[in-house]
Amino acid sequence: MTDDTGTDDGPIDRRATMRRRAFLAFGSGLAAGTALSGAVGGASTRDRPNRQETTTGNETAGPQRTTVEDRPEGVYVQPFLESMSMQGTAEVGDYAVALLYTVPHVFWTVTGSDRSRQPLSPDASAHVMAQVWDPETDTVLPEAGLSIEITRDGELVSEEVIYPMLSQRMGFHYGGNFTLDGDGTYGVRVSVGGLQIPRTGAFEGRFGEPASAELELTFTEATRSEIRIREIDQAGERGALRPMEMEALPLGRAPALEELPGSVVGTAESGDARFAVSRVPADEAGRFTDGEPYLLASARTPYNDLVLPMMGVEAAVTRDGETAFEGRLERTLDPEAGYHYGAAVPGLAAGDTVALSVSTPPQVARHQGYETAFLDMPEMELTV
Amino acid sequence: MTPSANRGLSRRAFVRTAVAIGGAPALDACIERWGAPDAARPPDGGQSLPERQFAWDESVATDEAGNHLGPRHRVLLYLDYAREGEPTDADRERTEAALGSLERAYEWSNDGLLFTVSYSPAYFERFGADLPESVELPEPEALSSFEDPALDRPDAVVHLASDHGEAVLAAEEALMGDRESLGDVEMQASLADAFERVDRRTGFIGDGLPADNQDVAGIPDSEPVPEDAPLYMGFKSGFRKNQASEDRVAIESGPFADGTTQQISQIRLRLDDWYGEQDHDERVGEMFCPFHAEEGLVEETGEELGDSSRVEECPEDLDATAREHGRIGHAQKNATVREDGSPIILRRDFNSTDGDEAGVHFLSLQRSIADFVKTREAMNGTEQTRNLEIRQRVNNGILEYTFVKRRGNYLLPPRSRRALPTPRSG
Repeated sequence: MTDDTGTDDGPIDRRATMRRRAFLAFGSGLAAGTALSGAVGGASTRDRPNRQETTTGNETAGPQRTTVEDRPEGVYVQPFLESMSMQGTAEVGDYAVALLYTVPHVFWTVTGSDRSRQPLSPDASAHVMAQVWDPETDTVLPEAGLSIEITRDGELVSEEVIYPMLSQRMGFHYGGNFTLDGDGTYGVRVSVGGLQIPRTGAFEGRFGEPASAELELTFTEATRSEIRIREIDQAGERGALRPMEMEALPLGRAPALEELPGSVVGTAESGDARFAVSRVPADEAGRFTDGEPYLLASARTPYNDLVLPMMGVEAAVTRDGETAFEGRLERTLDPEAGYHYGAAVPGLAAGDTVALSVSTPPQVARHQGYETAFLDMPEMELTV
Repeated sequence: MTPSANRGLSRRAFVRTAVAIGGAPALDACIERWGAPDAARPPDGGQSLPERQFAWDESVATDEAGNHLGPRHRVLLYLDYAREGEPTDADRERTEAALGSLERAYEWSNDGLLFTVSYSPAYFERFGADLPESVELPEPEALSSFEDPALDRPDAVVHLASDHGEAVLAAEEALMGDRESLGDVEMQASLADAFERVDRRTGFIGDGLPADNQDVAGIPDSEPVPEDAPLYMGFKSGFRKNQASEDRVAIESGPFADGTTQQISQIRLRLDDWYGEQDHDERVGEMFCPFHAEEGLVEETGEELGDSSRVEECPEDLDATAREHGRIGHAQKNATVREDGSPIILRRDFNSTDGDEAGVHFLSLQRSIADFVKTREAMNGTEQTRNLEIRQRVNNGILEYTFVKRRGNYLLPPRSRRALPTPRSG
């Protein structure tokens, strides 16, 4: 199964050129397939029509090594666009799990405020990804520690804890580069760790237990031919690729502002992240607090509103010149608010000033285009 | 199958491979090369044996710092009782006779043979009566929000241990009825009439053995395990001051007084990132605590630490360590469940190449399984995941590199009740 939302195939000769480049390093076949669509969202170009692939530039498809010189600070358009090979989905315990793969990827891990580029091993065969979500609401679940065990004919090939990640095409997901043992079909056991963050509303009591899904990964010329890569001529410009839309694969998007609980008092930006802040009055905050109003911050990427999880967020609320609240907003998962940061703030009311600060930037590994964003995050201020 | 006849293979590697393979041909291959097992015989006139089957500390080798060194070669025999219902007296007598024969054949020491016999909750289910309140022996279970181990439910586990791999192999052969004598000691009986062997797990511990055996899945091809490391992860463990005493883990009263409980987890090791992505200081930080790395307390394998991991010098405030260093140490977490400065479990774990994978058979003894559960929960560092850098399994001790695949709980009765015990006295 491929990402087949696109209809902007170029002329045949151009497609052939693209295909040859796409498979230079990753495969050799020219199997029939659907070329990619892609869209670049930017402050001014967000809704522009899909663009066709370029035919110029370095012939560097396959393992993703394309980089951008002079990359900007903040979110920028990643230099390539690739599709994935969907390998299957399963429901197990409280979870739905999908397994996908694409070409090996460069990415950066983040520990505290330190970013560290993970070397791309020349042996790496594939970037293996898993998505985990609630099958009832399609809410993508960050913070579930994931590990993947790969076997072939019952023999162990690999087992690793994989990274929570953020990419422009997939949003939040879990992934890692793996070295496989040649072409063939592999058994993949995806182990989902229970969430340790608070869950509210209908999510209370759910997602706490581990579960393991047994899936298969077919690594062959046929599945590799589903993966299309092309370079993007707006690479490095401010903006982001439009996320992939794949049937049966929910995307971790933060709710639209009007769908957040309570009344949204405003939005603020920090380090290119957008924070929508809402005040949930006491009488609507029963699932969050013991009778107090709830201060809720929903963090997302610019352009596409992808959830920004695993961040340390603190708030200071000032009322009539006095500090009325100071403390951490807890990472919380709610069916309506989605993944957000929140705390009970007694007496939270119109006129209060809220200073939001980020003590720890999102501890998700970053794919290209996000590695310079969401790191240096200055304090924000809003008035309720 | 016999171990490789490669002339270049050292004796210790050859014997280790033979133990892993097992069976008469493996033993014969050792005997052919190096003669009959040279394990120590009991003194003339017999040996007096402790009522505690697990009383090994007095009878094992020690290093310069006085740390007890676990016997180098191990086999765990997983056994099912061959009959439905309560065991017969005849089976009980056979079992005792077989075990007694081992004691007449070998000195009770690392130089001879040390062994224990233990029984699972599943074994005790066959009786109408429950275990007494003085014994706490629940069924095994998953003990973290991310592990999902298969649960072992054999009736019994025999743990064989010696510095002589040949002795471990010969004892196994004799117990399972495939060998009629050990040296000039005739086996009075075997376990084969009363039990069926359903699994065997093997392993080793001690300087040099991990380095000799690092050509397995889970260890990078660069052969990073230090030559003198006693365990695959490169560091010493089981420092005398970081072990519960045998007294602390003994059951104190009731029909199983001087028994203990035993927990065995089979853990797969995945050390590519442990050795590939981290330097020595980072490994020290995750195994011990960041303080040890900062102070340079662990030069290589931790030999210079003496008889203590010095974990008490790590900050007790794990959150402060998390904030300052972005990671917390394995030993540091476990130290939070000390009692009067000592841990509440006694480790008797060892490494393994079973399935051609690097692994650990994490065998621990404790007065009640609850003591193990408490220790394991501390190791999870769940509370510390409030700190963003500390994730469920990342920057959180050694959880990223260890995958618990199986777990079982057992009652290790006193020696006098080790043969097919009933849950009550008698």
